[in-house]
Amino acid sequence: MTLSFFDQFSLTTFMGIPLIALALTLPWILFPTPQNRCLNNRLSTLQAWFIRQFTHQLFLPINQGGHKWALLLASLLIFLITLNLLGMLPYTFTPTTQLSMNMGLAIPLWLATVLIGARYQPNHTLAHLLPVGTPGLLIPILIMIETISLFIRPIALGIRLTANLTAGHLLIQLISTAAFHLLFIMPSVSLLTTTLLLLLTILELAVAIIQAYVFVLLVSLYLQESV
Amino acid sequence: MANRSSGRWYCTMAGHDAGNQYQFTGFAKYFNSYTLQGRKNCVLATYAGIAAIFLFFKLKPKKQKQIAEK
Repeated sequence: MTLSFFDQFSLTTFMGIPLIALALTLPWILFPTPQNRCLNNRLSTLQAWFIRQFTHQLFLPINQGGHKWALLLASLLIFLITLNLLGMLPYTFTPTTQLSMNMGLAIPLWLATVLIGARYQPNHTLAHLLPVGTPGLLIPILIMIETISLFIRPIALGIRLTANLTAGHLLIQLISTAAFHLLFIMPSVSLLTTTLLLLLTILELAVAIIQAYVFVLLVSLYLQESV
Repeated sequence: MANRSSGRWYCTMAGHDAGNQYQFTGFAKYFNSYTLQGRKNCVLATYAGIAAIFLFFKLKPKKQKQIAEK
């Protein structure tokens, strides 16, 4: 069966049963469960330190009312980083390349921030649609622009993560295919292509972590405006 | 803007001020881009204007066109 370059993004199935549920739930096995000990082992301590540092930094600019989102955003970050990094392994399925999944994360989180702002701070939420100091003639135009940008936020959130991961995986597959086929034709060019592939893989590892962080950071920024 | 209360610093976001330092009169008192209420009223007025334009074209009678066609 001839495979296209986009077949790596098709949902994995086994005897007709989609395995995306396993792809989403099994990575949690990799993380140690925090125990009620005074001193945990090194891995648990490292995990707790990382989550504490990240949560502290993320929620510094957010008011007290938004701190109840700490567990959600910290686990969302760990979830996305794990899925993205596991997807860098050869022949593994990356769930975050699916637009449906990323939109399923982005739209409810964005909508929750908007509804929280509308429910508890309606005046601030409405006033936020007009930047301070806008000249009189620009007010209606800028309000319409800000409203459109408000509704584009979840789309941008989902598509940003999907496009970055998909483009990275596609590039890796293209360059690795080129390096393999050039190996028997022009070995020197194949060596250069392999070097490029190595650098691209390092870049994609960074992109995998950064895009997960950007997703969570943007959700926290939307929350910051609403609480 | 940061303020100190009971030994801790609390930061308030820019734009969440009550705008007490501005003294507008007349129309600008309710519709301006500096105070919280002024910005809110501008947003509501813009949405009302867009809704009014939409309703105007939606409910516009089309009888004149039918008479002209006959």
